[in-house]
Amino acid sequence: MLSDRVTLTVPARAEFAKTVRMTVSELASRLGMSYDNVDDMRIAADEAFVYVCGRANDDEVVFQADLKPDALTLQVGPFSVDIMQDQDEDAVDRYAMFILDSVCDSFTLEHEDERTTLTLVKYQGDGCA
Amino acid sequence: MWDKVHTRALFVRYRENNDDESRDELITMYLNLVKYLASRFRNRGEPIDDLIQVGTIGLIKAIDRFDIGREVEFTTYATPTIVGELKRHFRDKGWAIKVPRRLQELSFRVNQAMDALTQKLQRSPSILEIAEYLEVTSEDVLEAMETSEAYNFVSLESDRNSDGADSFSILEYIGADDQLLSVVDDRATLALALRYLSPQEQHVLYLRFFRGLTQTEIATQLDISQMQVSRLLRKTLRVLREHLVAGEV
Repeated sequence: MLSDRVTLTVPARAEFAKTVRMTVSELASRLGMSYDNVDDMRIAADEAFVYVCGRANDDEVVFQADLKPDALTLQVGPFSVDIMQDQDEDAVDRYAMFILDSVCDSFTLEHEDERTTLTLVKYQGDGCA
Repeated sequence: MWDKVHTRALFVRYRENNDDESRDELITMYLNLVKYLASRFRNRGEPIDDLIQVGTIGLIKAIDRFDIGREVEFTTYATPTIVGELKRHFRDKGWAIKVPRRLQELSFRVNQAMDALTQKLQRSPSILEIAEYLEVTSEDVLEAMETSEAYNFVSLESDRNSDGADSFSILEYIGADDQLLSVVDDRATLALALRYLSPQEQHVLYLRFFRGLTQTEIATQLDISQMQVSRLLRKTLRVLREHLVAGEV
């Protein structure tokens, strides 16, 4: 397996957070990630999803997971957010990075044409089966 | 959405004069915040008006306790207090979602397996390794992981473990309707929550978020493994989430 892609589209409602958590943790588990790394990814996906539900104007949230032997990449979106002043957006983005950065190996936020995409990456980490 | 200058003026006046007018105006101003937060709990069978009443009690507490000397916006301070009041309301009514016994026990056993296997393997075990050790399926282990936050952190259990209830993301709490959050505010709140952590946990958090070190750099500096750093960070974040959302900060 070089790379597999799994796509999940859920309604943008917080009650579906469990669906997101269970799917992402299963994918991380199937890659053979350690318990800690699986839990990190679970928390990250959950935080990202509920964050998007609170901010986005869309009815659905799309998750795209790319499974590679050494890493799980989770792309959330693109989604539309309420137009805010740049200063506010920076503050919220900084705090979002603050939380997600601690559990992901890499976390990026990209804006293009008023659509935003979150990308979370988790590597296999030190020493796992 | 909320006029910060006016808010500040009202608080100064209220603290000086202890007058009902200032207090009432503050309550009116921030009722929208109460409504927003109360609506997060709307799926639990309580009429929204009751929830707003409960939330308003939290708002009043926050208004009475808010220290204007601190560099924190009132919404940042009030949100956990209001949310805490709402959660307490459900707990007192016995509505906290109970975790099935089977999952409680499994969660406990998974923790034990983690300790045993980490010791034996000198690394973090995989889900499969834990499952085989416990003679359960991988799905069981994932389910236990899902439960474990609820099991360990009472204040989050209603959100995390109920099939229909809303989750409450700390990102949303931080970001929602507090448009002018500055980094200083974040740190002030964080600094307060830090007192719930052990010195080592505080140090790791400080290195990661205030000095910007990577997990590997922290591991080198503290002479522990990267895995230990990762675990400490995750645990500290959980503790922070619990305390921030439960209204103790």
